[in-house]
Amino acid sequence: MFRRKRSPADFAEEIKMHLELEADELQSEGLSEEEARWKARREFGNVRAAQERFYMKGRWVNLDKLWRDLRFGLRSLRQSPGFALTAIFTLALGIGANTAVFSVMNAVLLRSLPVSNPNRLVYLRTSNPPRGTGTIDSAETFSYAVYDALRHQDRGLSPVMAYVPLSSSRVAVRYGADPEEAEGDMVSGTFFSGLGVKLLRGRGFREEDETNHAPIAVISYNYWTRRFARDPDVLGKTLFVNDVAITIVGVAAEGFEGVEGGGSTDFWIPLQNRPELNAWGNPLQDGKNYIANQTWWCLRLVGRLAPGNSRMQAVAQLQPVFQRAAYAGLGTPTEGEKPPILSLADANLSRYNQQYRNPLHMLMAMVGLVLLIALTNVVMLLMARNGVRQREFSVRQALGAGRGALLRQLLAESLILVTAGGVLAWGFAQMATRLLGRWAQIESSLAPDRTVLLFTLGVLVIAAVLFSLAPLRVAMAGGAELALKTSAATSNTDAGKSRAGNVIVALQMALCVVLLVGGGLLIRTLRNLENTSLGMQTDGLVVFGVKPNIQSIPGGVAFYVNLMNKLRALPGVESVTIMEERIGSWSSDNSDMTVDGRLPDAANGSSRTVRSNVVGPDFFRTLGVPVLAGRDFADSDTAASPPVGIINEQFANRFFPNQNPLGHSIGTEDGRYQMTVVGVVRDHKYRSIDEEPIPMAWYMYAQIPMTGAMHVEMRVRGEPLAILPSVRKAVQQMNPNLPLIRPMTQRAQYDLTISSQALFARLAGFFGFLAVVLVATGLYGTLAYRVSVRTAEIGVRMAVGAPRGQVVWMILKGSLLLTAAGVVMGVPPAILMGRALTSSLYGVKPSDGVSYLLAVMGVALVALAASAVPAARAASVDPLTALRTE
Amino acid sequence: MGRMSTQETNDRIALLQGTLDLLILKILVLGPCHGQGVARLIQCQSEEVFFVDHGSLYLALQRLEDKKWIRAKWGVSENNRKARFYSLTPKGREQLTEKASEWRRLARAMGLILDSDSGLQSEEA
Repeated sequence: MFRRKRSPADFAEEIKMHLELEADELQSEGLSEEEARWKARREFGNVRAAQERFYMKGRWVNLDKLWRDLRFGLRSLRQSPGFALTAIFTLALGIGANTAVFSVMNAVLLRSLPVSNPNRLVYLRTSNPPRGTGTIDSAETFSYAVYDALRHQDRGLSPVMAYVPLSSSRVAVRYGADPEEAEGDMVSGTFFSGLGVKLLRGRGFREEDETNHAPIAVISYNYWTRRFARDPDVLGKTLFVNDVAITIVGVAAEGFEGVEGGGSTDFWIPLQNRPELNAWGNPLQDGKNYIANQTWWCLRLVGRLAPGNSRMQAVAQLQPVFQRAAYAGLGTPTEGEKPPILSLADANLSRYNQQYRNPLHMLMAMVGLVLLIALTNVVMLLMARNGVRQREFSVRQALGAGRGALLRQLLAESLILVTAGGVLAWGFAQMATRLLGRWAQIESSLAPDRTVLLFTLGVLVIAAVLFSLAPLRVAMAGGAELALKTSAATSNTDAGKSRAGNVIVALQMALCVVLLVGGGLLIRTLRNLENTSLGMQTDGLVVFGVKPNIQSIPGGVAFYVNLMNKLRALPGVESVTIMEERIGSWSSDNSDMTVDGRLPDAANGSSRTVRSNVVGPDFFRTLGVPVLAGRDFADSDTAASPPVGIINEQFANRFFPNQNPLGHSIGTEDGRYQMTVVGVVRDHKYRSIDEEPIPMAWYMYAQIPMTGAMHVEMRVRGEPLAILPSVRKAVQQMNPNLPLIRPMTQRAQYDLTISSQALFARLAGFFGFLAVVLVATGLYGTLAYRVSVRTAEIGVRMAVGAPRGQVVWMILKGSLLLTAAGVVMGVPPAILMGRALTSSLYGVKPSDGVSYLLAVMGVALVALAASAVPAARAASVDPLTALRTE
Repeated sequence: MGRMSTQETNDRIALLQGTLDLLILKILVLGPCHGQGVARLIQCQSEEVFFVDHGSLYLALQRLEDKKWIRAKWGVSENNRKARFYSLTPKGREQLTEKASEWRRLARAMGLILDSDSGLQSEEA
């Protein structure tokens, strides 16, 4: 009854009229006016009671009652602040952790792209690039020639859109006088219209913008906010991207930050055709940029299925076009070569999807277990508390409170707990997602959205219902007659209740074992990764990038010779070298190589792929990689001297089996550059910590026609980063505008490659710890409660001669039995958890004994610690006082 | 013990739960009527056997109105007093048929059991 049609006044009026009508009638039957009125009233009975009952039907009464129950609940919670705070914090931790992990999962895995009809959008993939090409990613990137061929058909996909970053990290952007770095992509003219992304302001690109390589940009909502403080007059402003003037013509709709999950593109410009704006920020290769260089597969492609077309039809229509275009600039496929095969993949947040799907699902499962522990903890706390209050409930029942009234009161109390816990959890989750995003280096917005809010509310509702129903059983169990029992010793013993409590505690311990095993496995994985030998001495190494603007090849060499000499002269510097690709940065340059003038046979199907890098003199001495045969690069290797190369053990073993590789020649796939092998070095980690070594070759920078950005590696004495100020000064003496790009220790650079594993392990460890803390509080609470209700019993035992040791043992034995039961129940699911984690482990087996042992010991330790205080309290019970408490 | 019964006449029977609704519907099928009239009519037609608690009557009227079985309108009584007149809705009419047959079945069943001597005797034996 929430809609009241009639006012109480109207009802009162009706009753008043009734009395008058009745009086009239009685009067006509012969009574006097006075008598009639009196009799009518008497016949009616209690007028006020009728009015009250009418009033009670209304909604205001329910609100009144709710308000009263809430106030009563608050008052009774305030009487036990310890309980209330524990319950609220337990809830906040459990629900907050779940909300945080869920909102990361939501942002990274569940949220769909903010484009129209995302299910018709597909990423283009290739089985492999043709031989003789260079790629960014062997499955996901394509040459401009392929893009050009595919976009000029309009049958399978319409349109096909290309996007490619302007830099492998961030690109220099100047607005006004302030230089900064931002993430920018070059995209097709059809990019915004084809994706169906709305423009908040201004316009998107048109096809002619791509044809004309128009110097215009659309910026993202976030960039607009961050850089321009949502300046409404941003359109028409000029950005200088790598010193090229670009005019802002539009602001993309909020939430669009590129077509890949976790991306955070700041601005987009149409595909350009000028050396300063090459794809990935690469220097021109033989004077060719990404458009002219037909063998550089560097563009990512996304397409929209043409209307009425299925994915299979689209692939069938595009395949011949693709395979023809794939060999542009290469001639015919070499004999026996597998042609590349085009395929289409769902355009959902793919890259992050692969990287984070498994860990996130595991984390969600773990954090779900934590929530389970937290909820049962609060339930147990509530049951214990209400057990103590059983006499209060009995008294209230005896005084006429119905089941409904008791239920309402319990509901109100749990509502207060859940609301307070929920509010706290939400704040906690906001903070945690921000931290998580920073640690995981996920730049797209992780902020909780409506889906997350619904998720949290759902959890809260479940919690509220659980919390009011579970204790009701205890509350009702006593019944009114319990109020008559006066002894605490008899009124609080209930075998069934403590059995239920035991089962819950044992289950919690089992969950705790599962979480500790998971956390333990992952933390041991992290330890293994951190202690993996890199095959070099990283202590004392510092690395930074420089990007001089030099056009001529000799000019470039001269710059780096000069730079290295200057740096070598600094005090504290042991050696200095340079490299084109920074080691430990996830990327590598992969290609086939010729050995002694021809492509080597790959023995029984093994890969022919070789990794290569262009480096400076003293490279291996600086890194501390042992040279096994021959020599390191030296200053004496110049453009004028014979070209030299160095290979690793893998290269030597695979392509020079049972021979001395020194003196043989190796060369690029197209045969243009030939080098003599002058050294063999020990295998070491190149891209990341968890990789396996593959064949690798190094060239001398002075002998390769290239200019542009290089990374400088320095070995110094003492704290590596302390050298940077003097390095900066030295660099600025050469060119005052040259910044050091991402300076850091080489170790830190390598550590970045295991940052997601580290995050995963730390979080899992944290959840394990959280589980332990929660289980400890739960167990402590339960035991303390039991000891308190058994005080009288313990008193009696001691009075009849039980020694204190026996009393302590009685309490400890209980919790040890629970632990044993919990461990037995926990090990099988822990084995499942370990199996599910297999792909995330490194150097640890899923059945790692140490992790299990530590988990079991951890749980046992927690159980002992949590029982210590209650056991001590039991031992200190004074028989006389205990018996006198009644 | 809780409720002191102060009814002066013993031959009046307090209404069974649920029967009041049926009686109200039955009275109103004759035409619109106000609360006091309904109370009087119930008492008269049951030959003064039923005692209607007036407070309960008005709450029952309100309940039926909320269920949309009856509707109400303020009007003027035959002796020129303001009164709230209740009348039956089509839904109320349906309910009356249904409830009445239900009640008759119940009464018949009760009668069958109470009138059979064999049951009583076998119990006493």
